[in-house]
Amino acid sequence: MSLRELVDVDARIVSVENLRGKVYKTAMIAPEIAQRAKPMQFVNIALGNSTDPLLRRPFSLSGIHPGSGIIEITFAVVGRGTQIMAGWQPGQQAKVLGPLGNGLDLGGLCLDHGLILVAGGTGLAPLLPVASVALEAQVDLKVFYGARSADDLLDTGELGAGCQFYLATDDGSAGTKGLVTDVFESYLSGLGTGDTGRPTVIACGPKPMLRQIKRICKRYGLPLVVSLEERMACGYGVCQGCVVPSAGMKHGYYRVCTDGPVFWADDIDLGECTT
Amino acid sequence: MNLCVDLGGLKLRNPVIAASGTFGYGEDYIKAGDIGWFGAVSIKGTTLRPRAGNPPPRTCETPSGLLNSIGLENPGAEVVISEKLPWLAQFDVPIIANISAESYEEFSELAGMFAQSSHVAALEVNVSCPNVKAGGIAFGTSPEMCYETTRAVRQVWKGPLIVKLTPNVADITSIAKAAVEAGADALSLINTLVGMAIDIHTMRPVLGNVTGGLSGPAIKPVALRCVWQVSQAVSVPVIGMGGISSAEDALEFIMAGASAVAVGTGLLTNPEIPRKITTGIQEFCQAKGIPALKEIVGGAWRQADLPSHRP
Repeated sequence: MSLRELVDVDARIVSVENLRGKVYKTAMIAPEIAQRAKPMQFVNIALGNSTDPLLRRPFSLSGIHPGSGIIEITFAVVGRGTQIMAGWQPGQQAKVLGPLGNGLDLGGLCLDHGLILVAGGTGLAPLLPVASVALEAQVDLKVFYGARSADDLLDTGELGAGCQFYLATDDGSAGTKGLVTDVFESYLSGLGTGDTGRPTVIACGPKPMLRQIKRICKRYGLPLVVSLEERMACGYGVCQGCVVPSAGMKHGYYRVCTDGPVFWADDIDLGECTT
Repeated sequence: MNLCVDLGGLKLRNPVIAASGTFGYGEDYIKAGDIGWFGAVSIKGTTLRPRAGNPPPRTCETPSGLLNSIGLENPGAEVVISEKLPWLAQFDVPIIANISAESYEEFSELAGMFAQSSHVAALEVNVSCPNVKAGGIAFGTSPEMCYETTRAVRQVWKGPLIVKLTPNVADITSIAKAAVEAGADALSLINTLVGMAIDIHTMRPVLGNVTGGLSGPAIKPVALRCVWQVSQAVSVPVIGMGGISSAEDALEFIMAGASAVAVGTGLLTNPEIPRKITTGIQEFCQAKGIPALKEIVGGAWRQADLPSHRP
């Protein structure tokens, strides 16, 4: 009896591209995953046969192409795992387990008043497939994207053309100088009183950014979905390592891998009580 | 090729067991792997009342190892017995119920509850969890406490009884002997080694619970040594675990004296590992002309054939 929903495939690496600075994008052939994956799902990638580093590394999919069977991952080199991946050569193979986690079904959200995506750093990666789907469905889309500097930006691809795009960097080397959360808030505060519609917001990025977005969305009464990034051991639910507290601990801890990585912000505690 | 194993009355089709804590209750595992390749599965350590577990971060990778401090997050015995076990039983793989408690009385109560379930093939008494404040490892660090715990369970549980030992002791054989004396039918070893990691940028321990249990290939030599010592000191079968991620690793444990093996951390990195290990053991035995696995259990104990003359 096979009840497998996940596949662990030998994916062939097609390309590894250094976009800028520490940011890389890799494309690999994994048709079984490309055909099943939904936006905001992720994969857990084995780095080789060595026991060091031991664990796989989880990455959300920044590109899902069922037709060609290609999946894309955009990542920043932050440690040994990503260092190894940056050195991958085309033709090499990597074990890829997926698609993992709950993806996002845009049909389940109210998009009558538009969709706003807010991303910080590599947090843009899982939002790219969401943007593609939203643009295809002709949803009114606005994207707020922040990073440390111009050197830390991911490829925004088709986003620039299809939607209103707001860019901020900490050092002002690209877009507005400052935090993306401030740009987002000033956008909301600039809306006239006639704009009564409430767009849905989806955010992904570092925890402090998500906390701030949650505060802002609460203030403006906007529904907020967040996608969490977390270190993981298994990625498929068995180790219970990657947890986030539920709001008020009413439901204990949620596992980011199988209960998430997509959550309604109100369902989880992003640490807003302690900061 | 006969891979069957008898662990003090618990009969397995093959010697590879899912180690407690890396398999949950099977619901998530079946999405990634095939339960049928396990000789038995040991469920997540279960306590009398539900436990939320420890605050994150709960895991940290170390060289060839993994530190964890999950803190026995589980829904409590009632839910496990009424919901998890009946569901898991459909796969027809023997279920080992791993239990953890804060007192002898609680161990006894838990064992009594699991004795009422028709789905439990064996009980595994966890006297070795390093990640809970009360109880846990304490029961496994002195022969007296290990004896009392095992006896408390033995009095209410008539089926195969396994005691899971910790390596965080000076003399593991004395603890093992105490468990056997109190009625254990088999021993699992080892649980994780207590360890920690520090983030030099925040100048704080990485784990939310400060210390955690180290597992993975890094601990294999320690586990192997424990199996070697204990299996020669007691007469009951030993289940070896600690960093097993290949058939070769498993065979080392078997030759050190383990009658069966369990995989934990290996499952996290490769859900299909039980198939890989089982078929690898089979191929090895066939190639060497070994008719039954039990022929090589403790195979490394025998005196090395030293040459009588040196040239």
